[in-house]
Amino acid sequence: MNDGVTSALPLSPASLHILLSLAADDLHGYGIMQEVARQSEGKYKLGPGTLYDNLQKLIRRRWVQELGQRPGDDDPRRRYYRLTSLGRGVLTAETARLAGVVREARARLQMTRPQIAKPRRA
Amino acid sequence: MLRSLYRGLLRLHPPAFRERFGGEMLAIFDQAAERQPRFKLLEDGIVSLVRQWALRPEFWYDISPAPTAETASDGMPSFYTLDPFRPRTAAVVHGVLLTVVVFCLTCFAIRYSWIHVLHVHIPEVQFESSSSFEEHAVAPASSQEPEIASRPARDKQNLFSSSSPFSPAGQKPAPGALPIPEMRQNGEGISRPVPPGRAANVTTTAAVPNAAQNGAIAPAAELNPQQQAWGGSAEPEQTYAANQAAAGATSGATRNATIDAAERHRVIDGAIANLTKYYVDPGMAQKMAAALGAHEKSGDYDAVTDGLVFADLLTRQMQDVSHDKYVVMIYGAAIAPENPRPPTAEDISAYRKEMERTNCRFEIVRVLPRNVGYLKFNSFPDADICGTRAAAAMARLNNVNAIIFDLRDNPGGYANMVALLATHLFDRPTHLNAFYNRGENTTEQSWTLPPVPGNKLADKPVFILTSHATFSAAEAFSYDLKMLQRATLVGETTSGRGHMAMGRRIDDHFMIRVPDIKVTNPISKTNWEGTGVEPDVRVKAADALVTAEKLAENKLRQR
Repeated sequence: MNDGVTSALPLSPASLHILLSLAADDLHGYGIMQEVARQSEGKYKLGPGTLYDNLQKLIRRRWVQELGQRPGDDDPRRRYYRLTSLGRGVLTAETARLAGVVREARARLQMTRPQIAKPRRA
Repeated sequence: MLRSLYRGLLRLHPPAFRERFGGEMLAIFDQAAERQPRFKLLEDGIVSLVRQWALRPEFWYDISPAPTAETASDGMPSFYTLDPFRPRTAAVVHGVLLTVVVFCLTCFAIRYSWIHVLHVHIPEVQFESSSSFEEHAVAPASSQEPEIASRPARDKQNLFSSSSPFSPAGQKPAPGALPIPEMRQNGEGISRPVPPGRAANVTTTAAVPNAAQNGAIAPAAELNPQQQAWGGSAEPEQTYAANQAAAGATSGATRNATIDAAERHRVIDGAIANLTKYYVDPGMAQKMAAALGAHEKSGDYDAVTDGLVFADLLTRQMQDVSHDKYVVMIYGAAIAPENPRPPTAEDISAYRKEMERTNCRFEIVRVLPRNVGYLKFNSFPDADICGTRAAAAMARLNNVNAIIFDLRDNPGGYANMVALLATHLFDRPTHLNAFYNRGENTTEQSWTLPPVPGNKLADKPVFILTSHATFSAAEAFSYDLKMLQRATLVGETTSGRGHMAMGRRIDDHFMIRVPDIKVTNPISKTNWEGTGVEPDVRVKAADALVTAEKLAENKLRQR
């Protein structure tokens, strides 16, 4: 794995959700917000400020590419964003890392049994 | 309404962010308005605004993708030596401006802080850092007339250290009351700055070209009135060099002239006669005379044929006995018969110009915090010429609560200025000191002038800053006020020049400088000759001002 990608991990929740939302399709900002809400079942909501703050960082890192406006869109102000191959690599790496964390967590949780404190004698 | 507010928020974002995402954020606001509380979006906008300005300076003007790593044409990867982040020009400019502002504020704080942690000397008015007017004064006439009168003409010389002491303080000296300043070389420029007194010897070299042309070389400066400045005399280590300067200046036949037994005898006789007659301490004069006679009798001088060596030898022998480094034998190629001469109108004019150019050596007149007056002056110039400026300086400080006189770089000057400045510190004429002239067996007293109308300083605390470079008249000012318990001296022991010396011709090649006037304080009945004036509070000269300010502050608090 690329060292640069590894060093960028772990991703912040916002970055992870944005990359994940763009993994399937190119989306505009509002679409990303909706997709993030959907993925998290409404538990994680991105505000526009946080969204674009993260997007500018992802663009600077070349993980996300701006496609510009798409003809025929309802709102001409919308711009679309696409996950780059580099961004996809990062997302893959982060997913693998998280999978490892989940696996490890599950293993630990299964090994751990609840302990009941024994009463002490005075 | 809320939309306008949100739009305004977006406009306040950094330019790059606003241009790239502003439209989209507004579109989201428009679209989401129905479903999400608008206030939440406003809140998000405010957080975003703060975050972009405070935490994202690298995105203020550009959010384009970072350049990709380049690969060199030969296939080898090139290496980044710098972080991709490069500070913006504006950031650099802001940084420089901020640095300058902080630096200025720091300097200001140091200079004007209530408690002086550091003392940084930032004068209001800074003249050339010369130590005395004698160093720069120009006397065209001197270069034109290197010959010097043989007869001591002190009665015609009203310079501070000679005749001024002979007139009651405050009395205006006679028109010729000027030290003959340093000589010019061929009338061009000013010879190098020299310490008062001793350096006068060296300035002889400046007179050489003219003198050589005239065929008459004289250690003119030896008889220059500035020689008679309070305590001003050649220091031992200067003597030989001075003699070399006097003799080396000559050319041809007179250079390294040999002296015979007759001349040696004549010089020793002349030295004994002058010492016996003029030296301030008759007993010591006898001892020196006896020593010279003994050396001569034992044949110590028989092998000495070089004038320079002879003069140096005599100087050492006289000083070995007296420990008075101002007794000096001087060798010159030709000592002119008329010496010294009274100052000419040109001398006076040149001195006046020099004083005007240098503000009479008044360097700093300032009111410090706590309304403490501070006066730094690097000479006691002739009150006849600088009296107005001195009065103006004192008038400016008339309303202070305490006053500090900074004499750390003051080489002395005129007695009339001592009296004039001291006048402001008393409410009645006060006896400062007396000048005893051994040769004439006369004593003149120096008093302050009648009180200055409107003067408010007579009862204000006075502090005087001293250093080892505080000379002659500056020492007199310090000593007199200390004896009168009118001032607190802060700093170092002064140089210790309480006598005045006069160069006296012996023959065409030799002259002797003999301290012949003694200053006596009416309270202590003695003076600071050789010992210097002891400070009341001993600190390094560099720390004297800070210390004096603290003392003044304490004193004012007590009052």
